[in-house]
Amino acid sequence: MNAEPALIPFNPADYFTYVLHEEIRNAGMPGGYCGFVLELAGEPDFNRLQQRLDQLVVQFPIASAKLERRGKRFFWMTTGRRIMLERHQSSHNEGEAILGLQTAMDIFNQPTLNLDPLPLRLHWIATGNGGLLLLNWIHPLLDARGGKILLDYLCSDRPDKFKESPSLIGEKLAQWRWWQKVRFFFKAKRHNHEAIRLDSCLPTAMEQGSQSLRLRIRRYSKDETLRISALAQQHTGLAGKTLYSIGCFMRAMELAGPPAAKAGYCIPYAFNLRRQNAPTPVFGNHVSCLFARATREQTRQRQGLFAHLLAQYRQTLQNELDIAYLPLMWLGQSLSPSRYAKLLRKQRSGGELSSLWFSDIGELRWNEAGFMGTRVSGMFHLCWMTFPPGLALLTGQLNGQITLSYSYLHPAVDEAWLEGLIARMDAELLETNP
Amino acid sequence: MKEKLRHFIFSELIFHEAPETFGDADDLLEAGLDSMGIMRLIMFAEKEFSVTLPDTEIEPNNVRSLNALEQWIQLAPRA
Repeated sequence: MNAEPALIPFNPADYFTYVLHEEIRNAGMPGGYCGFVLELAGEPDFNRLQQRLDQLVVQFPIASAKLERRGKRFFWMTTGRRIMLERHQSSHNEGEAILGLQTAMDIFNQPTLNLDPLPLRLHWIATGNGGLLLLNWIHPLLDARGGKILLDYLCSDRPDKFKESPSLIGEKLAQWRWWQKVRFFFKAKRHNHEAIRLDSCLPTAMEQGSQSLRLRIRRYSKDETLRISALAQQHTGLAGKTLYSIGCFMRAMELAGPPAAKAGYCIPYAFNLRRQNAPTPVFGNHVSCLFARATREQTRQRQGLFAHLLAQYRQTLQNELDIAYLPLMWLGQSLSPSRYAKLLRKQRSGGELSSLWFSDIGELRWNEAGFMGTRVSGMFHLCWMTFPPGLALLTGQLNGQITLSYSYLHPAVDEAWLEGLIARMDAELLETNP
Repeated sequence: MKEKLRHFIFSELIFHEAPETFGDADDLLEAGLDSMGIMRLIMFAEKEFSVTLPDTEIEPNNVRSLNALEQWIQLAPRA
């Protein structure tokens, strides 16, 4: 682990997420940290896990690199530092929906005192027979799909099959001639221009003040999950499961009454360039950005809203706007973080663009051996987000059960309002009365 | 047609260690084809084969395998 430090440049999506990380830090919070949590029915083999972490740093030195700025450009500089498995005993057992959750939140709310914190950490939170395995990382290092690949790496019998590969965004950009890039750039600019026209309702009326991160988890039973999947297919077709969740959220927020009521809703969501089940690339962000938008009037008509979102998505793909964002992100690298952030977040009116941070992690599977021989009984996710909107919804499915993880800022998001919103979301997803 | 579909699916949407061994009747949904991928696949097919695939026909039976996809596209109206 004493190799010479190497500089690994950010790809365009890494810089995109770095800019948002800086925005979060500028608002007085730790930064763009994300968490992927597995609920394990027993203890994994700690020695084996530590060996695998050591192997990770050798195989992928970026895993323990530090952020480095050279002129206008940003890099990861490898350090060879070890990533130690950090073990904790859950101390808040009473009344927790998920044992160990409070300890996970304490970890997330720790201020980053160290100037060069590790970009990736692994925690074990013991809760009795089992516990929570928390992978905690800083967003410019990798995206959530990469988080799943990393967990697969840690418990794989064949870690050698996980290899680093070039940025998928870089590969796409390299396929295009200069005039194609320019054409896509203007397409994306028009796409953005449309997105910033509609003033977005927000889940908080506050824009500043000291905040902590909190989490509410809603897990649906297998029967409920089957019902949600059937309703998603009925309303948005096989192709629109993600849109069903987004549409239900827009309606839930509209029915709960948005704390900052404006003209409509704008929910950006990621389009991942990775192929499903691919073991590579592990690190880096390989995402583009799409927008789901609707006026408040459109949101009030359930059937019409889903048809609108599906047509909007279809139009986006037909016009190749999904990939058009890539040249925009490529050019964004030349902007300072503050200038780029303004373009990413601000509407024409000066308001905040995103009504919510949203990500659909998709359906995840661990094989019968579970995680290092231990059954994975559940999972949830968490992340810091910009303020506003102060609310992030991450959704995923495991063992036939959908889990919605609501990360939110306290006290910016009113908890009584959030409870009402979650009840409305249940009713929307399951098509029942709240 | 099937080879074009196979190439697009395995180079853009799903990772498979040996895509040439993936049978024409094998289950694409089981292999990891998700909702976003289905939409991209439909857009690719409409453009590549100059057809219109109606929203109302987007259902598991039409996208479950390469055979099913080919049959669906062959029966679809020309764009």
